[in-house]
Amino acid sequence: MPEIRNYTLNFGPQHPAAHGVLRLVLEMDGEVIQRADPHIGLLHRATEKLAESKPYNQTIPYMDRLDYVSMMVNEHGYVLALERMLGITPPLRAQYIRVMFDEITRVLNHLMWLGTHALDVGAMTVFLYCFREREDLMDMYEAVSGARMHAAYYRPGGVYRDLPEHMPQYGHTRYRGESGTQRMNANRSGSLLDYIDDFTQRFPGYVDEYETLLTDNRIWKQRTVGIGVVTPERAKQLGFTGPMLRGSGIAWDLRKKQPYEVYDKMSFNIPLGTNGDCYDRYLVRVEEMRQSNHIIRQCIEWLRANPGPVMLEDHKLSPPRREEMKGDMEALIHHFKLFTEGYTLPAGEVYAAVEHPKGEFGVYLVSDGANKPYRLKIRPPGFPHLAAMHEMSNGHMLADVVAIIGTMDIVFGEIDR
Amino acid sequence: MSNTARFVRSLFLLELFKGLSVTLRHMLFVRKVTLQYPEEKAPISPRFRGLHALRRYPNGEERCIACKLCEVVCPALAITIESEQRADGTRRTTRYDIDLTKCIFCGYCEESCPVDSIVETHIYEYHGEQRGDLMMTKEKLLAVGDKYEAQIAAARSQDARYR
Amino acid sequence: MTDLLNIEINGVRLQVKPGTMVIEAADDAGFVIPRFCYHKKLSIAANCRMCLVDVEKAAKPVPACATPVTEGMKVYTKSVKAIEAQKSVMEFLLINHPLDCPICDQGGECELQDIAMGFGKDASRFRETKRVVREKYLGPLISTDMTRCIHCTRCVRFGREIAGVMELGAPGRGEHMAIETYMESAVGSELSGNVIDLCPVGALTSKPYRYTGRPWENTAATAISPHDCVGSNLKVEVRRNQVMRVLPHENEAINEVWLADRDRYSYTGLHTADRLQQPMIKQGETWREVDWETALTYASEGMRRVIASHGAAQLGALSNPNATLEEFYLLQKLVRGLGSHNIDHRLRQLDFSDQAHAPVYPHLGQSIAALEELQAGLLIGAYPRKDQPLINHRLRKAAKRGAKISAVNTIDYDVNFTLTNTVVTHPFDMPLHLAAIAKVLAEQTGKTPPAAVQTLLAAAKVEELHRQIATQLTQAERSTVLIGTQALAQPNLAVLRNLANVIADLSNSSLGYLPEGANAAGAWLAGAVPHRTTAGRTVPAAGKSALQMLDTSCKALVLWNVEPEYDCADPATAMTALQAAEFVVALTPFVTDTMRGYADVILPISPFAETSGTFVNVEGRWQSFTASVKSLAESRPGWKVLRVLGNFFKLDGFEYLSSEEVRSEIDTLTVGIIPQTRSEVQAPSNTPQRPSLLRIGHVPIYAVDNLVRRAQPLQQSNDALQAMVAMNAHTADKLGVRHATQVRVSQAGQSVTLPLYIEASVADDCAVIPAGVVGSERLGTGYGSIDVKAV
Repeated sequence: MPEIRNYTLNFGPQHPAAHGVLRLVLEMDGEVIQRADPHIGLLHRATEKLAESKPYNQTIPYMDRLDYVSMMVNEHGYVLALERMLGITPPLRAQYIRVMFDEITRVLNHLMWLGTHALDVGAMTVFLYCFREREDLMDMYEAVSGARMHAAYYRPGGVYRDLPEHMPQYGHTRYRGESGTQRMNANRSGSLLDYIDDFTQRFPGYVDEYETLLTDNRIWKQRTVGIGVVTPERAKQLGFTGPMLRGSGIAWDLRKKQPYEVYDKMSFNIPLGTNGDCYDRYLVRVEEMRQSNHIIRQCIEWLRANPGPVMLEDHKLSPPRREEMKGDMEALIHHFKLFTEGYTLPAGEVYAAVEHPKGEFGVYLVSDGANKPYRLKIRPPGFPHLAAMHEMSNGHMLADVVAIIGTMDIVFGEIDR
Repeated sequence: MSNTARFVRSLFLLELFKGLSVTLRHMLFVRKVTLQYPEEKAPISPRFRGLHALRRYPNGEERCIACKLCEVVCPALAITIESEQRADGTRRTTRYDIDLTKCIFCGYCEESCPVDSIVETHIYEYHGEQRGDLMMTKEKLLAVGDKYEAQIAAARSQDARYR
Repeated sequence: MTDLLNIEINGVRLQVKPGTMVIEAADDAGFVIPRFCYHKKLSIAANCRMCLVDVEKAAKPVPACATPVTEGMKVYTKSVKAIEAQKSVMEFLLINHPLDCPICDQGGECELQDIAMGFGKDASRFRETKRVVREKYLGPLISTDMTRCIHCTRCVRFGREIAGVMELGAPGRGEHMAIETYMESAVGSELSGNVIDLCPVGALTSKPYRYTGRPWENTAATAISPHDCVGSNLKVEVRRNQVMRVLPHENEAINEVWLADRDRYSYTGLHTADRLQQPMIKQGETWREVDWETALTYASEGMRRVIASHGAAQLGALSNPNATLEEFYLLQKLVRGLGSHNIDHRLRQLDFSDQAHAPVYPHLGQSIAALEELQAGLLIGAYPRKDQPLINHRLRKAAKRGAKISAVNTIDYDVNFTLTNTVVTHPFDMPLHLAAIAKVLAEQTGKTPPAAVQTLLAAAKVEELHRQIATQLTQAERSTVLIGTQALAQPNLAVLRNLANVIADLSNSSLGYLPEGANAAGAWLAGAVPHRTTAGRTVPAAGKSALQMLDTSCKALVLWNVEPEYDCADPATAMTALQAAEFVVALTPFVTDTMRGYADVILPISPFAETSGTFVNVEGRWQSFTASVKSLAESRPGWKVLRVLGNFFKLDGFEYLSSEEVRSEIDTLTVGIIPQTRSEVQAPSNTPQRPSLLRIGHVPIYAVDNLVRRAQPLQQSNDALQAMVAMNAHTADKLGVRHATQVRVSQAGQSVTLPLYIEASVADDCAVIPAGVVGSERLGTGYGSIDVKAV
């Protein structure tokens, strides 16, 4: 009788469902997973080490590139650490802008997750719809920062620029005609806030559509219900955060538990799952999108009513306005020194965490009093999740691995750093 | 929901048909959101950060004074500058290279420039057939600036009050 | 010991010496007080007011730099009052400062920027027009942007207190105050570059470096200056494998915080059009660039051929005194390994008659820092101001403290401190004056001078001047006799040395040498002299000295970084000898047409900043350095070339892997060597004939080696002498050239036409014609008979 041995399967790093560069070494007993061993490091860029050689502000663009679908929230974690160390609080308007863009980013992230997760599991259409909405959100990013993804918009002491009063508009082409162009520009005729407002009005309807397509869909449920179950106890032991933790029924959200910026002034709820399976985590994230939409609306309302500075007026930290820099000696010196050497942080250490769409994104920073960090450590939310790969997929079928990767919302930018 | 209702829904694939109705509605009644690129293009914010350009003053003199702030602030070390005293005694670059394969388009060079010389334009459609084509030299950058000066100036003035 | 005072700074209790200024106490305790005008090496001016601090019970903030500590004083540098005062001062300093940061070379290393960032306001309230100050021309080394000046007067005080020239001053007051050169002429000090370091803003910056770099781009490597025997510590700033500039590296024992212009700007000669990039060999009459293998094979075969046909005694090696210790050692090891002792670095020396009695290496006889503690000194044939500027700086410090320093020279040099007595005399009369001094000393002390000099002393005529000099030396507790670079080049060196020894003995002074080049001490230690091998061990039969090698025309010559027409004592003879030699190997960083004329192989070796090695300075300090940049193209560090050349000759002991290995070998060989400057007094054996007109072939400051000669900014400065003839009116009358502007100079069968200057500072019957400069390269020996006629 031939010896029966487990079959070892390499999943990724080029597999389309591997969400980037995940390489899974799967030990299979037929179709059943015996052991799942994730291999990481293929997207390692030494962000933490790189930060040690650059003035603080120059690391902000690198934060965008950690979790490259939640750009501004990564920046937020880093900037928050700097601000705590410096002992400064940005102006209220900057805090509202940050909260609004954090939530826009959360929607952006969840849409990406939902589209690709559904696609992996077999639903093509949701993917297209999600990306349609992402386009609008990325227009918001572009309008405010100039980049559709890697914004480099948050700065210690506030945000780089105020929200623009005008949205860019479509030009005339022979494909649309006058009325067609006007229709496309309808929601772009006002300010960025108007544009976001228009989106938030439409967005709940879009979420309904996704839910119509998925929530009751029997194939979707067959693929997700009871898959990758994590008990609340194990979820805590494994260091889960974010929707992965809340999907198992634990009400933990930094926005509520350790409010930063103006989250304590926002009214929103934390959705919780009960079973801790992929389906519950799906429900949690979909509801989070609705809640985010609600927070964005509250921010819009406040921001419309309260114009003001978006950056601290302390030029020992933030560069002076360009106009001042060109005519004022003190301003020029500060501009010059801030762009060449930057500012220094007092010696010490700090940990700052934000509720990232994927969980707790933390930045641990040690300063020796210089203009660059002595050490920067990033706590990526995805890392502990991926570490539970074996536990979550053990005993499941091969096809379920794809669903589990999807439910973890893996992005390798942050895991490999 | 009663068991009967659930059975009926399940038997007649009601939830699937409900889903299909969404896609059908999009197929028949909802306008397409697709743009006919390249004839049609998405609108671009005045803050957009695309291909770099070096600008000139209206009298044709190059703005750059080789202060090297952009070089030092560049997080990706993509900019290389060499400078000297020009015959007329002014401080000028003899070399201004941006390696686009290194650049991360963070916009810091433009933020740091005290004379609005290095800017990021709205151009996002460019390519290189060889690796060296993506090494922007001073001549190439000035050429981009000369060609798109009107657009660059308009975008800067639109955004001036926010910076 | 005086009682210490108890003071308190920011609540920290300190004990300080009375007379200390608050700023010094704060600096020692680590409290940062902003300042512009205060500098630890300069006097206190207290005119920038930036260092205002709050002192308890004082009504107003006081300047920390000019407030001495008092018992029980309580100082607050961070109190509201102090901070407000500092902010206000900063605001005033900035109202007239131009918005130049982006184009200013000081940007990034500017004290004004740093202090504005740390202690100033972040926005200006000044809306009026700023003042503009007229530009000044300060020569080819320093560029000025006087509008940026904040009137700290550091440069003015530097000129007055350190450089000893009233070059810069601050006429005008208030808005009209401006730093100007009184003469509005190029700054003439050999230390002028230091004002660049001193200037806290971008008003005075380096002209050769202008607009080429930013401080943050450069990485600094430490190095040792290769131009004089001081061994100044340098910071060589490098960007993308190119030397951008050279700055002083603080070393209290050697150069303090200063640097001579020669050390600071010589890097500008590194990349000239004539830098040799590839080994070259001569085939027939054409030169061919080849690889190292071919070139070294060709070189070694050529030398072997000469040795085989004429014997090893026909092989000679001449080296520049600026080679590293390792290079000297390997060069002598190679030459001696091939069976010859013909190796020398004393290219400008004319008198070798008492070399057997010379000390183990030319030593200063004391530490450099100890010079400033001197109470009396006698300089013999020395012009340290231009030859060893930082030795001169120490002597000047001593003189300012009251030391009585006198000189016996052939030219009345322009010294920047007061010499108590100066004897200006014909070079061949110098022994008479020294003997007279010795005679007085013998009388005063009652000691008997050595018999060998009795006749000299007996012949000496004592004058009042000699008595004074002798008295100064005997009365001083710490005194020294220094034999200068000029004396070492004179044809009567032996007698000068003997008399200096006698004077030092009788007056109980130390005796010191000021040798030429950066590493003469290293050369003697390594054995790059014909009569002694490493560590001063005498060889059985001395080889030929530099002069003899050229006089007797060695058949094979190795030239180490030598341009004979400029570097040798007798260029005419040197050129004849080289033309006559069968095989000449030139190792050099720079190739010249003349070199192509006489050499058979030219090998590119790395100059300063591109090689590693060790210099032994005049106080016997071994200072090793590493290469700051990679060698250009195919040029290679000298020690590597010699090591491989040794392998080509299949000599033993050429297996080094690093210059450190070579150094440690020399280290073991030279263990226990004590620098001893005194030598046994001999009866002088050679008395040169006194010609009717004697040339004084003085080497100007910017002609000392091939690197300096290529440094364009230095060559454009006032100290870069052209070939010319200078003599006093009396001599000119005798020759009938009193009113000539051009004269025809003939020496050693060569004649050139040179401009004539009448200078009262030159001794009778002498004509100064500088050596090492273009125009005099075809003439003969630096101290020889010369013929001058009106054109």
